[in-house]
Amino acid sequence: MRGPELERLYDEHAQPLYAFLLNLTRDEADTRDLLQEIFIKLARDEQLLAAVRDERAFLIRLAHNAAIDLVRRRGTRERTRENFAAESASPFAPASDLDENTFRNELATALAELPAEQRAVVHLKLWEGLTFEEIAAVLEIPPNTAASRYRYGLDKLRGRLRPLYEEIK
Amino acid sequence: MKPEDFEQRLQRQPRRQIPAGWRAEILAAANPAPRSASRAPFLSTINSQLSTLLWPHPKAWAGLAAVWVFIFVLNFSMRDKAPALVEKVSPPSPEVVAELKQQQRILAELMGARDALDADRSRPMAPRPRSERPFEVLTV
Repeated sequence: MRGPELERLYDEHAQPLYAFLLNLTRDEADTRDLLQEIFIKLARDEQLLAAVRDERAFLIRLAHNAAIDLVRRRGTRERTRENFAAESASPFAPASDLDENTFRNELATALAELPAEQRAVVHLKLWEGLTFEEIAAVLEIPPNTAASRYRYGLDKLRGRLRPLYEEIK
Repeated sequence: MKPEDFEQRLQRQPRRQIPAGWRAEILAAANPAPRSASRAPFLSTINSQLSTLLWPHPKAWAGLAAVWVFIFVLNFSMRDKAPALVEKVSPPSPEVVAELKQQQRILAELMGARDALDADRSRPMAPRPRSERPFEVLTV
């Protein structure tokens, strides 16, 4: 793939891919490695996007697969990291307001405590605005599974954040 | 708390921005210079394969490597010191040389005397068959 085309892809898709990967890995260095891996793949294979209708969905699928591979490759280390998720990189921007900042930190921690498959669905639904059908296509799961994972994930977030939410509402 | 409110509240949370410096770095890595194009994949392949191989116990492998390095260093240091030890031995003094020569001369004399004695001695009897021994006794 030529340089300008690669730059266009970066400018259009790198930010959402970064947010998705950071939410899955909770590590800036891993996120950077995976993002670079995706763009190297795109640069090497000119036909990779040739028959793709939805670039964003395709790239998110690449990112998801790369993140899953990373988790498998680093098995023990990753599980250890999950245990210390509260100390990991937050996918949200810091806020100037103290209450808002507290809420974002709690949300980041609660998200990190979700299983990776629920976290991926919640992220794609809430922050990418994908439908369950689109999520199902991206993650290669049935739409009902995507919907149930979202419901379970959101219930856990609500249960975890309810006291804080009520307090600062 | 209404479910819709909660979802909307979550959706409104601004996500962290991708570091600006990454763009140049990632695009440069994805589009390497032509000269290094053939070499970079080879090195990265070796790197990734080694990482996969060594990953389960990196500290153990590092420890093993450190032990080998220590052994090599020890080995080379000992090899370097061996000639130095030989060089450090001082040459024997003239008195010692004279004493050694005298001992050699005495030994040679003794050996010469021993040879003379041996020549005077009769040769030991060759072993004979048992059947001849009684006859020998009788003849004596």
